[in-house]
Amino acid sequence: MMYDIGLTVFNGLAWAMATFLVAAGLTLIFGILHILNFAHGGFFMIGAYVSYTVMLAFGAGLPLWVFMIGAMAAAVVVGLLGWAVDMFVFRRLRDVEDAYSLIATYALLLVCGGAVQLIWGLNYLSVMPPPSLNSVVFIGDVFMPTYTIFVILSGVVAYIGLELLINRTQIGQLIRVVAVDPWMARLLGLNVTRIYLVTVIFSFAMAGVAGALLMPNQSLSPELGGIFLLQAFGVVIVGGMGSIRGAFLAALLLGMIESFGTYLFPQYPGIFFLLALAVILLVKPSGIMGKEQTA
Amino acid sequence: MIDYRVRFRTNLVIAACGLAAFAVVPFVANSGLLFLAGLVAINIVFGLSWNFLFSGVGLLSFGHAMFFAGGAYGMALITRHVPEMPFLLALVLGAACGGLIALVFGVVALRRASGVYFAVLTLAFSELIHILITKTTFLGRNDGLTGIPRPVIELGFGTLNLTSATAYYYFIIIAMTLVAVMMWCFQNAPAGRLLQAIRQDQMRTAFLGTPIQGWQLTAFVISGTVAAFCGAVMVPFTQIASPEIAYWTVSTQPILFTLLGGAGHFWGPAVGAILFGAIDYGTRTMHGLSEITVGVLLLAVVLIIPGGLLGLLKRRRAAASKSTRAETAGERTSETEAGK
Amino acid sequence: MSNGINRRGVMKGMAAAGLAMPFVNVRTAMAQSGPITIGVVTPLSGPAQLIGTFVREGAEIAVEHVNANGGINGREVELSFRDSKANPNDASVAARELIGSGVNLQLGTISSAVALAMGPLLQSEGGVVITSGAGTEKLNHENYNPHVFRVGDSPVSRNAGLVRHIANSRPDIRKWGGIIPDHEYGRTTWKIFEATMRKAIPELTGEEAQIAEPILVPYGSGDYRNYIAQAMRQDVQGIYTSVYGGDAVTLYQQASPFGLFDKIDVLLDSANEFLVATAMKDQTPAHWSGFHWYFEANKGNPLSDQLYSRYVERTGEKYPMGWAAEAHAAILAYKGAIEKADSTETTDVIAALKGLSFDSATGMRHIRAEDNQAIKNAELAFIEPSSSEPDGFAVTDYVSLEGEKVIEPARPGQMLDIDAL
Repeated sequence: MMYDIGLTVFNGLAWAMATFLVAAGLTLIFGILHILNFAHGGFFMIGAYVSYTVMLAFGAGLPLWVFMIGAMAAAVVVGLLGWAVDMFVFRRLRDVEDAYSLIATYALLLVCGGAVQLIWGLNYLSVMPPPSLNSVVFIGDVFMPTYTIFVILSGVVAYIGLELLINRTQIGQLIRVVAVDPWMARLLGLNVTRIYLVTVIFSFAMAGVAGALLMPNQSLSPELGGIFLLQAFGVVIVGGMGSIRGAFLAALLLGMIESFGTYLFPQYPGIFFLLALAVILLVKPSGIMGKEQTA
Repeated sequence: MIDYRVRFRTNLVIAACGLAAFAVVPFVANSGLLFLAGLVAINIVFGLSWNFLFSGVGLLSFGHAMFFAGGAYGMALITRHVPEMPFLLALVLGAACGGLIALVFGVVALRRASGVYFAVLTLAFSELIHILITKTTFLGRNDGLTGIPRPVIELGFGTLNLTSATAYYYFIIIAMTLVAVMMWCFQNAPAGRLLQAIRQDQMRTAFLGTPIQGWQLTAFVISGTVAAFCGAVMVPFTQIASPEIAYWTVSTQPILFTLLGGAGHFWGPAVGAILFGAIDYGTRTMHGLSEITVGVLLLAVVLIIPGGLLGLLKRRRAAASKSTRAETAGERTSETEAGK
Repeated sequence: MSNGINRRGVMKGMAAAGLAMPFVNVRTAMAQSGPITIGVVTPLSGPAQLIGTFVREGAEIAVEHVNANGGINGREVELSFRDSKANPNDASVAARELIGSGVNLQLGTISSAVALAMGPLLQSEGGVVITSGAGTEKLNHENYNPHVFRVGDSPVSRNAGLVRHIANSRPDIRKWGGIIPDHEYGRTTWKIFEATMRKAIPELTGEEAQIAEPILVPYGSGDYRNYIAQAMRQDVQGIYTSVYGGDAVTLYQQASPFGLFDKIDVLLDSANEFLVATAMKDQTPAHWSGFHWYFEANKGNPLSDQLYSRYVERTGEKYPMGWAAEAHAAILAYKGAIEKADSTETTDVIAALKGLSFDSATGMRHIRAEDNQAIKNAELAFIEPSSSEPDGFAVTDYVSLEGEKVIEPARPGQMLDIDAL
């Protein structure tokens, strides 16, 4: 019994932090640009494929640092794509209704899938974690793959890093100002366009890193873009209006519900996340960290 | 002062022209294209039902598939289990299924959420309904309900045989035209203009003593009913109700139609649906390139003409008379004139 | 006279190029001369596109072969492709359009929902489809339709074949569990697996089989750890799975550090063929997989050898999926039927396909007249990781079981009778 609960908590944490890694960049863009970026999953996928290519170039039995180089490469490539997307898509749609940006990102998701298929083909690909992360540890009776622990730690590190960035640095302060009132920020002489650009690049780079870090857990195929998308959306929305802390807490909450739901009611796989999403939004429509809206 | 009679006549002419164009299809096209045209006709009204909510009331629904599927499955169940029920009554009941889903969901959700939160809530509910369908034996689970017959309608003085695809096609386009015209009338009736007022300034409209949520709920139920009607009409045409029609990608369809055609214009979703049908047809023999083609086209449309195709036409016209800043101005005018 | 033929030729050329003008139905196009066009409605985009590419290769190689050997009754064969998007509505548009332009003989259906939707459609429009491997048992049971044929495995012959072989070679394994997709396909495969295993074990050992509740997993999930944890809790010796494609790779990948596959004696995979092994290479868990067609098991059969070598030449890949052979077989079945009937009319071809015996990459197949289901060999192979192999895995054992022994009795129009398996 204790064993089962321990493992279920552990699996819930793994779900939560994997989803948070994907959702972090998403929530950043959502908070500042108010765009729910459908293409995030697509760029997550490109990050995974870029890192796959890097690891393939180095050959088998990869040490951890090669894995990290793959993650860096994914961050750079996807960050650059983010620059292009902001320049050519988001910037042009800033003055029209948000719904159009939504459609643009949906179109980008399709383009990402098509591009991956053209570059890397349709076959399923996979990579194992680096050997130093491919073992297990026991905590009590509970069986914990080190790679899963690595994913959980990555999520926590990403969270702390983002919190520090947003709250303790100058750029973080600027981002917060622009998020609250871009019009006023512009009047104060801030280069709002540049702050948007930095946020988008950073958010995309996060998607790339997430793709690289989660890749050894996942089969790669052009469908990968959609796999984390819905649950990352859920985490962002339940978290509330672009709040990093909200997304982190939401990921933990939904991860535990999903994990325990599956443990207790195995006949209904994959349904608890959606149920919890609906119920939480009904009880607290603006999300965990969101303020109640007036209009 | 806007002369609604002139407007009504103009739009009636548009609807009649559309009907005439669709009516010609069986004479010039093969049965595959006829089938596609029937689906496009249904999609047009499906798109209108979504835009009724979006441009009419300002509610962003990301779960219209649940209404569409509600109507489709309602219809499929009735024809399978109560075959003696008159066809038109079955259609009405099918549409009512969607209306009921909208009512229940609207009562719960409209009080609480708005904006993108409302959108995600609709998405989550819609996915739940999708999963529910795939798990219910009564609804055929993943394989769906197949072999749904087309009707023979008893008219008292004779019978109307709709069992052939072509006959049923004519039924579809006439039914869809009627519903479209009815929606136009509603949107331009006092009630529709009240909804416009709610969309544009909720607080002031509330101060005038309007029960905002009551009206939003009404609009939501109407939209859901119309979407379900589309689903109910489709089922005897395709002769199958499968869970694919409840999947979230179906919910994105009316959004794409609307934004592609132009949300600011009543017939925008129609233009978008036809264009999408054309893209679908054009990419049907591509090996692995159809997604990227659709993506690039969509991106191009959104970037180059963000007001949709009809928005572009309108902007062209506006630019001829006065030179204002095209994009924002175009949006503004199109917002206030939604439903023209 | 010559004028008419010219116009016909032009229309057909355009239809083949996918440029057919949407003009009036060209029913006369399938006349008794000129090339025969066969429609291929298969996923060319979306999640099932990978399977669609195998269907395409297999059909094209078969057409090459047929044309190089004098065509069908001296007439050339052409293919006309349409994207089904694995969705009944899109597939309906495509099938109707093809029939409208005179292409009444079709193949390529792989999704069960599409295959079930095709029957009533083709019956009213006048056409035939040979599915390349839709896995639902309803196709030759309660939803049987004379216009739909399956030249590939029935779900019963596939799974009964797997069970029969494993039970015979390892009768000591009596405790079984299952990991199956939470989908119609998963439930069907499990139902058949469970019923046949419950029967086979007592017959061989005189003891009852112990079969645990199957673990249901959702489609397209990124995280299978909770399901793996469920499997770890079960006291089983063998695991049967019908999780497919990328989901299977993710599942196996995430299960490996838990040691799930070290804990059990046998992993039985109903259908992944080489999909898992080519993705996971030397990390592939050793497993038995069911095959539509395994080229090594058919070595020496010229049709199989030629299909394999042409596939490798065309794609540069060494591991074709069996879907290719099913599309290949569909073309050969049409050839046999058209020659037998000396006609390409729908009713004649249906009559000729019923009861047809024809040679294929898996040897002779016989289409049962009662339920349009082919009787063919059930093939399975044992795939093991191997660091010495360049691809990281090797097939170390395979069997091909005679079709007659694993197929269910024909019961068109009735539900599958689990007790009779």
